[in-house]
Amino acid sequence: MPNSSASLPMADPSEPTGPERIVDRLVGFGHALRDHGLPVGSDDVLTFCAAVAELSPGDPNDVYWSGRTTLVHRRDHLPVYDEVFRTYFLHVPPPSADSPQEERPVPQGSTGTLDVPDSEPGDEPGDEQPLILGLQASSVDIQREKRFATCSPEELAHLRRIMARIRLEPPTRRTRRRAPDPGGPVIDIRRMARDAMRLSDSNPALHRMDRKLRARPLVLILDVSGSMADHSRNLLQFAYSMRRAAQKVEVFCFGTRLTRITPALDRRSPDDAMRLAAARVLDWDGGTRIGASLDHFVRTWGRRGLSRGATIVICSDGLDRGSPALLADSMERLQRLSHRIIWMNPLIGNDVGASPNTLGMLAAGPFIDELASGHDLASLEHFATHLADIG
Amino acid sequence: MSDTNPTPSPSSVLELQERLRTAGYLAGRGLATAAFIGLRLGRPILLEGEVGVGKTELAKCLAEIHGRELIRLQCYEGIDTQQALYEWDYARQMLHVRALSARELNDSETTASLYGTDFLLERPLLQAIRSGGNAVLLIDEIDRADDEFEAFLLELLSDFQITIPEIGTVAAAERPIVVLTSNRTRELHDALKRRCLYHWIGFPSIVEELDIVRLRVPDVADTLVEQVVNAVHQLRDMDLAKPPGIAETLDWVDALGVVGSDTLNIETAADTLGSVIKDRDDLELVHAELERVIADG
Repeated sequence: MPNSSASLPMADPSEPTGPERIVDRLVGFGHALRDHGLPVGSDDVLTFCAAVAELSPGDPNDVYWSGRTTLVHRRDHLPVYDEVFRTYFLHVPPPSADSPQEERPVPQGSTGTLDVPDSEPGDEPGDEQPLILGLQASSVDIQREKRFATCSPEELAHLRRIMARIRLEPPTRRTRRRAPDPGGPVIDIRRMARDAMRLSDSNPALHRMDRKLRARPLVLILDVSGSMADHSRNLLQFAYSMRRAAQKVEVFCFGTRLTRITPALDRRSPDDAMRLAAARVLDWDGGTRIGASLDHFVRTWGRRGLSRGATIVICSDGLDRGSPALLADSMERLQRLSHRIIWMNPLIGNDVGASPNTLGMLAAGPFIDELASGHDLASLEHFATHLADIG
Repeated sequence: MSDTNPTPSPSSVLELQERLRTAGYLAGRGLATAAFIGLRLGRPILLEGEVGVGKTELAKCLAEIHGRELIRLQCYEGIDTQQALYEWDYARQMLHVRALSARELNDSETTASLYGTDFLLERPLLQAIRSGGNAVLLIDEIDRADDEFEAFLLELLSDFQITIPEIGTVAAAERPIVVLTSNRTRELHDALKRRCLYHWIGFPSIVEELDIVRLRVPDVADTLVEQVVNAVHQLRDMDLAKPPGIAETLDWVDALGVVGSDTLNIETAADTLGSVIKDRDDLELVHAELERVIADG
């Protein structure tokens, strides 16, 4: 927020302040914002100038607020806008400490200070486990970007195969709307009226209708921490295929913190999508905090209604370094905010009856509607084709 | 267009703020500037923000101070043009046809009358286009509607005209004031955002909220208002699943008034907590820390 005691934003004492000069300054501000990564279009700048013309260009408050309402289209961009405004108009050097209230809270655990429990009860050396586990979950938050340079031709083929299959079967739900259906329970009086008028028939045929079916929203929450390193790439490909196949799919990744990668997956080329998604997630192959991540999901996205009526698929091995109580708590909330929760745990492997008894799974267990495996592409394919039945 | 003359728009941000205030709405400088520019440039205003911070209320107050009619379109999943734009009244058309055939009238004029405005059921968007400058159009919770509906809205908001095949093109003589609200359950399309002026409404500061409560419920003792507002701010800092909005603050003050208590203490707070906290887990958390919330407040 501009300081009201600050000098007029246009006043650069050495130069004249005619109308053109003001427009130059305003347009320059638009460019400055663009340089800082805000998507400011020419039409936005035009609107900005028109807005300032309606107000007083000499009042920093007017310039600040009109710019904020015309040049910013997302809440996330507000801190950047504030900073650029300060440096551009008020000539305050960039590293200003007192940022305005819009500053977003820094997610917890962005530094590597976490208490590591000495032992993990649910994690005994399981001799009945035929699978080779990945790394164990560690609570160190490593900020690393996973390199997905290109997919191998074989992987691309796999991708296409999955995509072709899951296009068939997203889970559905009934809507309030009705559509014509000869065997439906409701009589379509409107259609009969229309027929009667058109055909001047006093005894129109009986039309019936039934509720429509719609694709149920699907939310994928993927564990990309160190212990899931062997699977995270498969999962990401799977998520990409799902996103391409069905309309309402949201994808999140977590290790120690939650990242939404849905927009990154909206690319025609799988390579581009993978690269963008990988760049967004900052905690590849790091520690796991399932509870905190799910809690974050519930509090932000869940609260806004993203998971309402949705099938939630959590893909994780349940090796959690966070508090089991928090995990159980957030799972309970999530269960209430969603339609079904499916937990895909690669540790299950091909042994479908097995229930892995990691601490995380024990905590989350009571709130899971369905357990699935998804340890390789084949089982992911199987899962995708049967999603409509279990979702 | 009707004969009623709506009140002219305010000539400055301060005047708008003042007039909103008399209508019972306290707008900060930023919100007032966004609304003022929207009014002046004829652009829709897109409001995003936490639940219960007065996004919808702004549209109501804008309608009030301009002496315009408020037309509200509540969006929901699966909303389509029939619910948003217009629909033919088939049942009445049927009756009319029966009446006509009884009198054996079947010339083209009577047929045409079947698709006249008499049989058109106006839904909010068509209503807004017809009222034009006499209306404030509130498109509430646009994020709940589907993508396709958003695209349709985009088209409508740019021209303010629609074509009904049987009647012809209906255009707004003057643009209505348009306010869109979103709770951010999903990201809106950039194209729609670009058409609009954007403003994020956050929670108010303690001082602002005190003003708001005093303005909305003037006959409540100042000490009670201060206690409640301070307690609500404590609650918002408490990491709740559903932090209370301004609407909840007002509800709480009202609830305390109904039970006839003029001060906020542990007992009265515990009794009326249901008007601010609407989640069971949150309730448990707050009950456990009620003493601190009240004491600091």
